Amino acid sequence: MSLDLIAAGTVAAVVAAATLRAATPIIFASLGGLVSELAGCINVALEGVMLVAAFAGVITSAYSALWFPDAPLWLHPWLGCAAGLLAGTALAGLLAVFHLELGADLIVAGIGLNILAQGLTVLLMAHLTGDKGSTASLTSFALPSLRWPGMGGVPVLGVLLNGDGNAGHNVLVYGALAATGWVAWALRHTVFGLRLRAAGENAEAALAAGLPVRRLRYAGLLLSGLLTSGGGVFLGMGYLTLFQADMAAGRGYLALAAVFLGGRRPLGTVAAALVFGGATVMAARLGLLAVPAEVVFMIPPLVTIAALVLVKQHQRLAARRRAAAGRAALLSS
Amino acid sequence: MTPSREGARIALAVGAALALGFAVMACVSDHPWAAFRALLTGPLPSIERAADGRMVVHRLVRFGAWLQDATTLTLVGLAIAIPFRARQFSLGADGQLFMGALAAAAVSLGLGDTPTALPLAFLAAAAAGAGWGLVAGLLKTRFEANEIVTTLMLNVVAVQVYRLVVGRVLNDPTAGFITTPPLPEAATLAPLIARTTVTAMVLVAPAAVAAALFLLRRTTLGYEIDLAGANPWFAVRAGVPVARATALAFALSGAFAGLAGFHVSNALLKRLPVDLTPGIGLEGIVVALLARGRVGALPLAALGYAYLRVGAQAMERATDVPREVVLVIQALIILFVVSDRLAPLALGLMRRVRTNLGGRAA
Repeated sequence: MSLDLIAAGTVAAVVAAATLRAATPIIFASLGGLVSELAGCINVALEGVMLVAAFAGVITSAYSALWFPDAPLWLHPWLGCAAGLLAGTALAGLLAVFHLELGADLIVAGIGLNILAQGLTVLLMAHLTGDKGSTASLTSFALPSLRWPGMGGVPVLGVLLNGDGNAGHNVLVYGALAATGWVAWALRHTVFGLRLRAAGENAEAALAAGLPVRRLRYAGLLLSGLLTSGGGVFLGMGYLTLFQADMAAGRGYLALAAVFLGGRRPLGTVAAALVFGGATVMAARLGLLAVPAEVVFMIPPLVTIAALVLVKQHQRLAARRRAAAGRAALLSS
Repeated sequence: MTPSREGARIALAVGAALALGFAVMACVSDHPWAAFRALLTGPLPSIERAADGRMVVHRLVRFGAWLQDATTLTLVGLAIAIPFRARQFSLGADGQLFMGALAAAAVSLGLGDTPTALPLAFLAAAAAGAGWGLVAGLLKTRFEANEIVTTLMLNVVAVQVYRLVVGRVLNDPTAGFITTPPLPEAATLAPLIARTTVTAMVLVAPAAVAAALFLLRRTTLGYEIDLAGANPWFAVRAGVPVARATALAFALSGAFAGLAGFHVSNALLKRLPVDLTPGIGLEGIVVALLARGRVGALPLAALGYAYLRVGAQAMERATDVPREVVLVIQALIILFVVSDRLAPLALGLMRRVRTNLGGRAA
């Protein structure tokens, strides 16, 4: 009996750990999407930011090892990480300049930057490695994994905390959790968070109150780029240890969906990102059974659409219930 | 802005994007000039005098590729431009194209070598694309689901449905690779120009543009779509069925993308491989942008952009520059065209520099 419980718990822990791992890039990107959305600038370029960050991270870590052969090994991935964050933030900054300075439509410019990121990464990859598919010919590095010591024998908790192979979770998995907490706290409890939301909620009112709306939107988009880059770096230096063409594979758009799905709130957004991560894991598990791969690949997009519809339906019912309650209160008084 | 100034602005944006693209090519190539020349002259046929004095036309294949690519691009451009009139960013042309191609192939194979196969396949493609577009439209109007997200998700679903059906239902086991059997002769279009894939569809595309123009300018639905985009609040107050017009704009756009699918299946490939590359639908964005939302300008924009795309293929074959450089140029065109304040800023800067220089000289 208890053995069954432990077995079931272990399976649940394996799935939970895998979900967290698959959701990490989406969590980062959706937090990025949330921050800029709350500042009044929808960031469609999340996909491109992730691509650029992953590419810059992988290439820098690989070339760091070639240029500084005497440096300690732990340095290369961290240099790559820094370069990835910088490059992704720079792309978001480009979006900010095009939108805020040059009057470009935010959505179209975002799509343009996604295409730019897709083209530039493949072009540079082909130039540097002679391969248009992936950087498999380069030796790049992964960011370290954190292992909880002394968990090897603990049944369920050990798998949850240290992953299936007891190798620990990548440091950026914890980074995503920390970023979630920080964004949730900063948006609610800091002056900056309040002002950022004010700039997004009602730009005229914020301007009238003397807030630097344009600067706040720059901050929102740059912060969005920084957070999203975390997801990109994880893709190239954690989830896998190389860069592939079109590596983000739609995660940026999923993250955008998570923002709307989560009702533009931090915890809701991250919950939606976890649902998307779970859909990926479920798809992979079903792929092991006899289900055709095509059907498996349909699951994440269908879950997204279903979730968008269900959330709207739920909001509508709640509004109707509130209205009914209000009427009842009026009648009884 | 007047059309001529608008045209000049777009020419400036394209020129700047090409210049920057050349800078990128110079960084990654050993022979940037040869690559640039291949890019810019690739689609043109060359006429040479043969030894016996007759004129021989070379490279007609690429010229044909230019025209047929422009046909596809015009249709997917329509698929982007029509919802845009209702201020909707539909990115679903890709999925609608796949659904259209699939429906056209299925109907052609089902009916076989009969004279009705061609018109019915044509209609099936339009209907399938319209249905797929209507899904996104209804999701938007009924559930306020963000159309950028839903159309992109529906694209993924459509591509997988396509692969499922081609791989498991319509598969031709004798082909050696996963594909449908060749479509029956009666259901396919014969080339208008020998040795190319230019078919009657090259005339259907401008006809589709004319039909769309008529619909937008001369019918109630077109007026409603424009109103829904210009001021939805006012339109609702005035009793315009905004939700219906918006949903129908999506369906209409899907019908045109579906026709692009028909073009791919029954005119270009004449059988559908399982690994048909997605992405052509998104190219419609560039075409619609270059036309600045003016439906009548779509064929011209499509011709211009198809020229660049075919040139890129020629360049990739002739030189060491991968065709992805066109993605960069495409992205720069998008960014420069939508940046309304870029041209005045650049002109102002140039003027200031000139006056500074003049001041120093005086």
